[in-house]
Amino acid sequence: MKARLAELVPYAALLAGAAYLYHDAASFAGLGRPGQLGPDFWPKAVLILLMIVCGIEIVRRALAPAAAAVPAPEAGPQPQAEEAQRHGHLLAGGIVLTILYVPGIAYLGFFLATALFLAAFMYVGRYRRARIVAAASVLGSLAFVFVFMKVVYVSLPLGAGPFRNLSAWIMAALGIH
Amino acid sequence: MQDVLHQLALGFVHLGTPTNALALGVGLVVGMLVAVLPGLTLVMGVVLALPFTYGMGVTESIVLLTAMYLSGTYGGAFTSILFRIPGEPLDVPLLWDGYPMARQGEPAKALGWTLLAALVGGLITATSAVALAVPFARFALRFDAPEYFAIVLFGLSGVVALSGGSLAKGVISLCVGLLLATVGVDDTYGADRFTFQIPILKDGIEYLTVMVGAYGLGEVLTRMEQGFVTPAMESDRKVETRLPKWREIRSLKPTMLRSALIGVICGIVPGAGATVGSFVAYGVEAQYGKRRDKLGTGIPEGIVAPQLASTATVGGHMVPLLALGIPGSGATAVILGAFLLHGVQPGPQIFQTSGDMVYTIFASMFAAVIGMCLLGYFAIKPLIWVLRLPEAATSAFVALFCFVGAYSARNSLTDLWMIVIFGVVGYLFERFRFPIAPMVLGCILGPVAENSFMTSMIAYQNDWTVFFTRPISGVVMALTALALAWPLVRHLRGLIRARRIPADLMPLGREVKP
Repeated sequence: MKARLAELVPYAALLAGAAYLYHDAASFAGLGRPGQLGPDFWPKAVLILLMIVCGIEIVRRALAPAAAAVPAPEAGPQPQAEEAQRHGHLLAGGIVLTILYVPGIAYLGFFLATALFLAAFMYVGRYRRARIVAAASVLGSLAFVFVFMKVVYVSLPLGAGPFRNLSAWIMAALGIH
Repeated sequence: MQDVLHQLALGFVHLGTPTNALALGVGLVVGMLVAVLPGLTLVMGVVLALPFTYGMGVTESIVLLTAMYLSGTYGGAFTSILFRIPGEPLDVPLLWDGYPMARQGEPAKALGWTLLAALVGGLITATSAVALAVPFARFALRFDAPEYFAIVLFGLSGVVALSGGSLAKGVISLCVGLLLATVGVDDTYGADRFTFQIPILKDGIEYLTVMVGAYGLGEVLTRMEQGFVTPAMESDRKVETRLPKWREIRSLKPTMLRSALIGVICGIVPGAGATVGSFVAYGVEAQYGKRRDKLGTGIPEGIVAPQLASTATVGGHMVPLLALGIPGSGATAVILGAFLLHGVQPGPQIFQTSGDMVYTIFASMFAAVIGMCLLGYFAIKPLIWVLRLPEAATSAFVALFCFVGAYSARNSLTDLWMIVIFGVVGYLFERFRFPIAPMVLGCILGPVAENSFMTSMIAYQNDWTVFFTRPISGVVMALTALALAWPLVRHLRGLIRARRIPADLMPLGREVKP
C-alpha cells in the first residue's frame, strides 16, 4: 500500500501543479486580440495534455493488481541497471552543500566558497584522505579562478568585507587584473 | 556535387587554423575522457564543456562539441572491454562480446575491432552528413510556418517515443520542458506568463540552467545518494590495440553495411540516438547475422555491430540539426544551444549564410574520426588512468563545473539558484525514472513550436486543419502520429503475447494479469 502511494506521489504532485498553473493562466488569457488565440492558448494546451497523462497514470497505477509490477510501455532497449543501495543522508548532505554554496559564493567570494565546497563535498561523499582533499580543493579552486577569470574572462564573485580583500589578493597573486 | 567537394576542401583549410585545430584536439581528448569516466555521461560532458565556448567563435565551439560527441561514442568501449565498466549506456552491448573476447586472452584484438568499427562508422557518418545535409536544406526551403510546426512536433514526438522510458513519462517530461519555455514575456503578445511578479522570471528560464542542472547536478546527486560506488579498476590489465587482418575485415562486410545503415537511420530519426542504434544493430546481428548462434561468446560481429552503429548515428543527428534546426538527441540539443548562444539559428538558410562554418564542421567530423582512432591507438593508456581518481572528487568538480558554467552565461547568482532547483528536479527525474532529454528538448524547441503554431493560426485564420491538408506538413503529422503510436502498439502486442503465455512461464517482474 505504502509503495503504491509512493508510486502515485509524483503524478499527483504534477497534476496538482498543472491544475494550479492552468488556473493562473486565466490571468493572462484576456491579453490576446479578438478573434485570435491568446497568449494562454499554448500553455493551457500543454497543461491539459499534462493533466490528462497524469490522470491516466494515476488511475492505471491505482487500479493495477497489487502483486503485479506495473508494466510500462517500454520503448527501445534498456541498458541493464542494477538497483543500487540508497543513502538518503548523503543525498541530503549533497543538497544542503549545493544550497549553501550559492549564498556562500556571494559572501565569501568564489575562491574561498569553492575550496570549502569541494572539501566538504568530498568529505560528505565519504572520501577521507585529508591531504588529498585539502590539496585538490585549494589547487582546484585556484585553477578555476585562473582559467575563468584570466582565460575565459568571467567576472567571478569576489565576496563581501574582508573576504573581498582576500579574493583581490589571490587575483593579484595569479596575475589577474 | 563538385560544389560540395569544393566547399568541403575549403572547410579542411579553415579547420587548419590554430584555434579550430586546438578546439578539435581538446574536444577529442575531453570527449574520450568523459566517455571513459563512468560517472560522466556523454551529454553531461558536452553540457559541461559549453561554458568554455562562450569566449570562442561559433565555429570553434561547434567543432569542439562535435569532436567530443564523436569521440565520446568510442571512448567508453575501452572500459567496457577491458574492465567490464560501460562508460555510457551505448557501450552496454560491448560487454556481451567485447568483454568475453578480452577474457579469452585477446583484449588487444577486441580493441582492434572496436577501433576499426569506430573508424568505418565515423567515416560513413561524416560522408552521409555531407551528402544528406544539402538536399535536406533545399527541401526545407519550401517550408512555411505549418511545416515548421509539424517538423518540430515530429522532433518532439520522436524523442518521447524513443526516450528510453515509458511513453507517459516521456510526455510528462516533454510537457514540463514546454511549460518552462513559456515562462517570461510571450513573443506574440508581450504578456507576462507564469512570472508570479518575480522580476528575474520575466526574462524567462535559461535553457542552459535547465540543461546543466538536470543533466549535470542531477546526475551528481543521484550518484551521491548511491554512495559513489563505481567498481575499482584492475590496474594490471594490459592496454594495447591490435588491428584485424584484411581477410578478417572482409568477412564482416555484411555486418558493417547493416550496422552503418542502422546507425545513420537512427541518427536521422529524432530521439533514436547512439544507444538505440547500438542495441538495434546488435539485435539485428542476433537475428540476421551469419554467426548469430555464436553471438555473446566473444565474436567480432558482436563488437563491430554496436560500435559501428553508435558512431554512425552522429552524422545522422547533425543533418536535421544543421538543415532544420531540430536536434534529435540530448547531445545535439546542447550543440543547438551552443549555436543559439552565439546568435546563430541553424536551418535551411545556414548553408547560404554560414556555408564556411557548416563545411568546417563537416571537415572537422572527418578529422575527428581519424583523430579519435589515433588517440585510441596510441594514447588510451594515460587516458584511462582517470578511472583511478576517486569518484567523490570527480563528482565534486563536476558539480563545480555546473555552477561555474551556469554563472558564466549571465554573471547572475540567480542562475546558480536555478541550477540548484533544476539539479534537484534532475535528481527527482532520475529517482522516479522520468527521462530528462524530452524536458531539455521541450525547453529548447518550445518557443519554436509555439511561434510556428501561433504564426500558422494567425496566417490561416485559426484553421487547424492546415497542418493536415498541406502535403509536407500532412505527411510529417502522419509520421508524428506513427512515432507516438509505435510504443502503444508494442505495449498492446506485449499484453496480447503475455495473455497467450502461461503465467508460470512468465519472467519475474513482467507478469501481466488479464
